[in-house]
Amino acid sequence: MADDSLPYRRTLVPSGVFLPHVIEDIQAKAESGLYRIRGYGTLRPRHWATFDDLTFLPCSLTRIPLEGYRERCLTRTVLGTRFAQKPIELDLPVMITGMSWGALSYNAKVALARGAAMVGSSNTTGDGGMLMAERENSKTLIYEVLPSRYGINIHHMKMADGIELTIGQGAKPGTGGLLLGSKVSDTIAGQRDLPIGVDQRSPARHPDFLGPDDMIIKVEELREATDWQVPIVIKMGATRVFDDVKLAAKAGADVIVVDGMEGGTGASPAILQEHTGIPTLAAVCEARKALEDCGLYGEVQLIIAGGIRDGVDAAKAMALGADAVYIGTAALVALNCNRPLYVEDYRKLGTEPHYCHHCHTGRCPVGITTQDPELMERLNIEEGAARVANLLRAMTLEIQMLARACGKSDVHHLEPEDMAALTPEASAICAIPLAGTRKIFGG
Amino acid sequence: MAGIDCGDRSAREINAEIRQLIQAGHNDIWISNPGARHNLGVGLCVAARIHIQGSVGYYGAGLIDGPTFEIAGEAGWGLAESMLSGNVLVRGNAGNGAAAGIRGGTVVIYGSAAARLGISMKGGLVLVAGDCGYMAGFMGQKGTLIVCGDAGEAFADCMYETVCFVGGSIAELGNDAVVKQPTPEEAGFLDATLERYLTPEIRAKKPPGRDFKKVVAGRKLWNFDQREWQAWQEAL
Amino acid sequence: MCGIVGFLDKSKTSERAAVGEVLLTMLQALGCRGPDSAGVALYGPPADHKLIMRVKLGGGGDLPSRAQRIIDLAKSFGTISDFSAAESYARFLVDEGIDERRLIASVESLDPEMEVVSVGRRLDIVKQVGSPASLERSYAISQFHGTHGLGHTRLSTESRVDLSHSQPFWGRGWRDLAIVHNGHITNYHQLRRKYEQKGVRLYTENDSEIIAVYLAQQLRSGRSLEESLRAMLRDLDGSYSCLAATATQLGFVKDPFALKPLLFAETKDFVAVATEEIAIRSALPGDYRVREEPVKEVRVWQE
Repeated sequence: MADDSLPYRRTLVPSGVFLPHVIEDIQAKAESGLYRIRGYGTLRPRHWATFDDLTFLPCSLTRIPLEGYRERCLTRTVLGTRFAQKPIELDLPVMITGMSWGALSYNAKVALARGAAMVGSSNTTGDGGMLMAERENSKTLIYEVLPSRYGINIHHMKMADGIELTIGQGAKPGTGGLLLGSKVSDTIAGQRDLPIGVDQRSPARHPDFLGPDDMIIKVEELREATDWQVPIVIKMGATRVFDDVKLAAKAGADVIVVDGMEGGTGASPAILQEHTGIPTLAAVCEARKALEDCGLYGEVQLIIAGGIRDGVDAAKAMALGADAVYIGTAALVALNCNRPLYVEDYRKLGTEPHYCHHCHTGRCPVGITTQDPELMERLNIEEGAARVANLLRAMTLEIQMLARACGKSDVHHLEPEDMAALTPEASAICAIPLAGTRKIFGG
Repeated sequence: MAGIDCGDRSAREINAEIRQLIQAGHNDIWISNPGARHNLGVGLCVAARIHIQGSVGYYGAGLIDGPTFEIAGEAGWGLAESMLSGNVLVRGNAGNGAAAGIRGGTVVIYGSAAARLGISMKGGLVLVAGDCGYMAGFMGQKGTLIVCGDAGEAFADCMYETVCFVGGSIAELGNDAVVKQPTPEEAGFLDATLERYLTPEIRAKKPPGRDFKKVVAGRKLWNFDQREWQAWQEAL
Repeated sequence: MCGIVGFLDKSKTSERAAVGEVLLTMLQALGCRGPDSAGVALYGPPADHKLIMRVKLGGGGDLPSRAQRIIDLAKSFGTISDFSAAESYARFLVDEGIDERRLIASVESLDPEMEVVSVGRRLDIVKQVGSPASLERSYAISQFHGTHGLGHTRLSTESRVDLSHSQPFWGRGWRDLAIVHNGHITNYHQLRRKYEQKGVRLYTENDSEIIAVYLAQQLRSGRSLEESLRAMLRDLDGSYSCLAATATQLGFVKDPFALKPLLFAETKDFVAVATEEIAIRSALPGDYRVREEPVKEVRVWQE
């Protein structure tokens, strides 16, 4: 007879294939008959090359560092110099990415706008059109034109400082947007011309162009609509980045945004977030090579997005070729996303602070990704704006610190040669020597 | 009345001249030799009557709010796309995505429309005297879409609240599209609309309002329900 | 992703139509949507029992000596006439009854960069990197007279920008077959592997080439051009508006999702097909209607 007191019987060993979360996933699908939908972005531990696999090489003997606090390190950022009469001028290279009013609450959108304006950064509308409060509270506001065309309005376009033609986003390239019924409130439904409470799915493609050849004409239309004044930005999820960036450049983009696999979303099928798109590190390297290949590096500006967490990620992205970065999730985290407030409400959702990715439910405990007025009240606009402004300031200081240490008086002078790779994969992807070897691997 | 000869000039120059003429007080403008070039009339937000004596290319009268365009020839892709208000009438045929995303106003096509007529429309009225192609009314949110002739495949696929009417045959209904009988009010509205826009000769060749098929969303795709899996498998 | 055009003259006058000029004007109107390369497939009057062979000379320099090697080789197969070498090409007429496959293989083995670009009783494919205006400067396309033709301006998506990767593509192994394609074949690699397994050689990484290979196979198995174009709807996935021409026919097929534009106009004098109306109107004055093709449409005209 088996003896239950023997030690080996008490060790729990999960299958290496059917891990607990996989079992849970299959059982949920057996209940519902549908793929899983959630917010946030990829949840997998990242075993691929990321910005963490690079390190900076500050000056020591071969080069001279700059003193912090005294010796200037410029952060002014200009986007759209290629064709626009009025390029976008920012005080720092970190911008707030497009997130929809619908996925986000009104208070969140306004707090983001104000926070960005406070430090001379920019804000972006999202899949739902422009809120007047956004325009009023933003210093620089970029207007997104998405496949859904929700809330599309020529007058709003003419009020914008840039037009961003969104082909796709990093979390779910090649597919449309999703807003579940609980978040299609009467105000959101009104803004988007939809029935209240539908599980809204946006189309994967734009309605009036189907291909980069048609897109050339579309870019011209957007210029015509805005009197050739403001930059036209083309935003894509990172898939065939090398080819896509060349096409966007040929189509006449002033600025190109590449949004990597680690990008966030308010709601989307989980499998898309996990298994589509290439990582942000790989994306920025391919994007720069693409611009070099068509002779437009330095002429067309590059904005990188997709899981940028801090000034370090931003500095590394810029060293690899980005002129600026977009933050999305990081800005929301600054606004109290996953902060230990209203902890009971996290638990009601089946989660805890620091583990919540339940944006799709509309029951955000801190009032960011919700349309419930009571929940939204928990997000104080002034406080939120101040926190976002602080994050942007802190990130900028981090970038400047690293740039000065590398002897740069301008953060835009960071180069790949200011870094070493910590893994062979990062070395191959970035064409940067592997620390300790003086050699670039693979590639 | 004022005239512009397009010649070899760009749409940008022509559009600028249109705006100048309107500012100078002309509100009846005739444009000759358009040659089907792209982006004519884009972003015009003042009331005026623009007569285009030929064809327009892509995005003719796109992103407008207020003016009336009468196009004697054909229209390319994205005719009147995202219009807020206004009237756009095309004597010939229209290409892919005519009236894409319109939020108000009226688009009348006297010839036939190619694929994706009224895709993602958010309001307004679309009237086609001839036939329409593949996937007309796709994801239509609001507004009214009338096709006097035959409709192509995947008609009124995955719609929200757009109401469609077809006078001829429907090659294939899209996902979640259901056919109903127009109400007496709707039949009256169809008759009045056809009478307003079509000549008596053409009107006589089209069926009376009450004989049109009304097509709306069955609403099975509005919220996921696993019992409707057949419908969702196509849609997703 | 590109601009494509086709033109067929119906007037049957003894003086052949200015096909080259019409195609060139149409291509110039489409230039902005295809800035990388330009090319035409021209169909002239048939030479008596002769084949026209056009060879890309390659980039290795010393073009006269390369051309000479081709003449010397071709002479061993049959009588050569009308030999010319200009810019990137050598072109000549050779007896119709020769072992064509062996001649092509021999020419191409003279140098890795030499490539037979077209063979036919009436077909001439002329293409290069650059604009339609540049194509005209190099090859005086506007001087060409014939019965019908195709044209292409290229916006490269995933493959190289060079002469070989440009269009039109010859339906290799089937005389006088040429195609132009706007769109992207998404099961290209799968199809390519299946053909390569059977010993078919593909010359580029351009997915459009697979259409030429496919149609040549279809015609070889006895199907008509119309049946072959229709079969594409079943076997090729992705986006395509595609024009194909043979010695006596011009046809098109439009993919099942109507993803790429294609319009045509037909009068008693001509048939014109193009990606945009501006191309047709700029080349052919007159009072006629232009219409965009419905989804899955296949049409073929006889010269």
